[in-house]
Amino acid sequence: MTTERIAFFYHYTLGPEWQQQIVEKLGARLIDNKILIMPEGIASGGSIFLEVLPGLSVLLLDMTFHVPVAITRIPIDHNYYMVYFDIGDEITTHIVEGSIHKAGYHSKLGMSFMDANSKGILMPPIGERSYSLRLFIEKSYLKELGASTRDLSVNNQLFDESKNTLFFYSHIDSRSKVLLNSLKEQPFTNPSFELKLKSTALYLLGYLVERVSRFEPIINKLSQPDIDNVLKTSQYLLDHLLEEFPGLQKMAELAGMSVSKYKTLFKKILKESPNNFFLNEKLLLAQKLLQSGNFNSVQEIAYELGYSSPNYFAKVYKKMFGLLPAEVLVKQS
Amino acid sequence: MKEVVHQYGVELDWVADLAAQLDGYVEGNCIRIPDEVRPGNRYILPINEDLTAFIIDVTYRRDVIFKLRNTRTDFVGLYFNLTEGESIHIMDKVSRTAGRWGYNLAIFDAEMNGDFQVKSGCTSYMIAIFIKKTALKQYISNIPQHQQIVESIFNPKLNTIVRFDRMSNQAWWLMNELQKASPEGPLYDVFVTGTVYGLIGDYMDQLINQEIIIGQVIAEDLVNIVNSQAFLIENIENSFPGIADLAARAMMSETKYKKLFKKITGVSPNSFFLSNKLSFAKEMLETGQYTISEISDQYNFFSPSHLIEQFKTAYGVPPKEYLTRL
Repeated sequence: MTTERIAFFYHYTLGPEWQQQIVEKLGARLIDNKILIMPEGIASGGSIFLEVLPGLSVLLLDMTFHVPVAITRIPIDHNYYMVYFDIGDEITTHIVEGSIHKAGYHSKLGMSFMDANSKGILMPPIGERSYSLRLFIEKSYLKELGASTRDLSVNNQLFDESKNTLFFYSHIDSRSKVLLNSLKEQPFTNPSFELKLKSTALYLLGYLVERVSRFEPIINKLSQPDIDNVLKTSQYLLDHLLEEFPGLQKMAELAGMSVSKYKTLFKKILKESPNNFFLNEKLLLAQKLLQSGNFNSVQEIAYELGYSSPNYFAKVYKKMFGLLPAEVLVKQS
Repeated sequence: MKEVVHQYGVELDWVADLAAQLDGYVEGNCIRIPDEVRPGNRYILPINEDLTAFIIDVTYRRDVIFKLRNTRTDFVGLYFNLTEGESIHIMDKVSRTAGRWGYNLAIFDAEMNGDFQVKSGCTSYMIAIFIKKTALKQYISNIPQHQQIVESIFNPKLNTIVRFDRMSNQAWWLMNELQKASPEGPLYDVFVTGTVYGLIGDYMDQLINQEIIIGQVIAEDLVNIVNSQAFLIENIENSFPGIADLAARAMMSETKYKKLFKKITGVSPNSFFLSNKLSFAKEMLETGQYTISEISDQYNFFSPSHLIEQFKTAYGVPPKEYLTRL
């Protein structure tokens, strides 16, 4: 049984014009130049797009795809940045059939920040609800906001596209997550929904600028292969959280770069060293496993996560979350 | 008592005159007053052609009466007012207590004259939103149950838009969030605009849910319920006082108390108490200086794990994870 993926190419714009591509190529219905309803044959649900203020637009997307699609955002030189928030669970765990002890999991990072001229391909899972929000921020506007939070010369360097690429990939910060969770509870059809979406978009922008100002500025020009290669390794780490850290040498090889280049680029994009990134993600997974109710003891979870010493696991867990794993453990019922 | 006769509007031609009357001057988006007790904030932000916001966060050092005498009539003012201390609205010679536990939300047609009186020592935190009537009409006609009457609402021969209300708990927290932002630079404009849209959206929800309520509640009961809310906040660090106790304080039967509380605030006493407790706990957590156990003790949760569970339910993230990813 082979089902052909529907390949679809598009690009966004700061204004509402981009929506015409979805209407023309996929047969979506456009209402008031802001709400797109997908044709039932492809997906149920739709999206809402609003211009919040000059230099900032927001797109909220709530769709369940029924057929396989490959949606490619074409890198056309555009004068804006895109911030992507995935408002689903970042780590999902489920019991693999037939074995109580093996917990299957899927881990991902919910937020990315990129230049509109980088390419992206999305292959949404079939039959699963995708709920995501995107901000489109005009470059000059973000530069102006950034200038109010840090040293002017640093800001100028960060926004100098001949020397630096702004790009990062991360978890959604807490304040943003609380806002997004509360927005998710509001139906699109509420009369107040557009106001709340605008309010959320503005606060997300504010939190983003505040958060980014705390990042260590790493001035570096990224090529598309650099980005792809580093993200390939971070995904590799996320897919192998139950194992030990593979070592920098191996990671750099996987990325096809020197160790020193790899370390710098990883830190620039993921905001942490590969080793710390791996340990933090492991402990976040530990947190989910402890609360999952699928285990009877901390020891089981420590072994599941590849720690040979449950005591050491308890120590690093406490350091990160302030509580001992035993205090958090929900036992199997 | 100092008397300030002034006007507002979506357009900004009133700003310089108000500044002069307050013995201050205009600098960028701010009205600066040289000899204030604490460096206050009076910030004016035009958001779009239909919407302007005025944020006032000051301490008064003398008694002032503000007499609002507009010359434009094309807008409506929404005044979200968290003044602490003695302050009153006077309209048609009827005074109403303003501030956090009084009528802290006033909606005023520009055609109305109103006086707002503050006593020396008052700390005022207010967000005034001026909306063109044409834009407000647009918002209101989105509310299904208002579609039929929207024409008469905006017909000056039939109706004057005026309303004293209480802002929702959500609105209170929105204003609180804005107060954490530094009132300088373009980032402040982002937060102000976000707050203004949030406040209008929240008030629309309130209109949808509470339309029928106010008329059926007698003033005395209303005061008792508002006092009951204040009592719950004052005792936010203790455990829930219980419906029997609260009803007795409000001088009502338990059934009546529960019913009225829900009608007026939109939530049950228990849920009002818990959601505020969690908001305070969240603020304490954000300082990064306390452990979950300390916060749990401070706000009298049954146990740290009870706090963790409630926090997760309310905000979708467990507290420690919230803190580590702040």
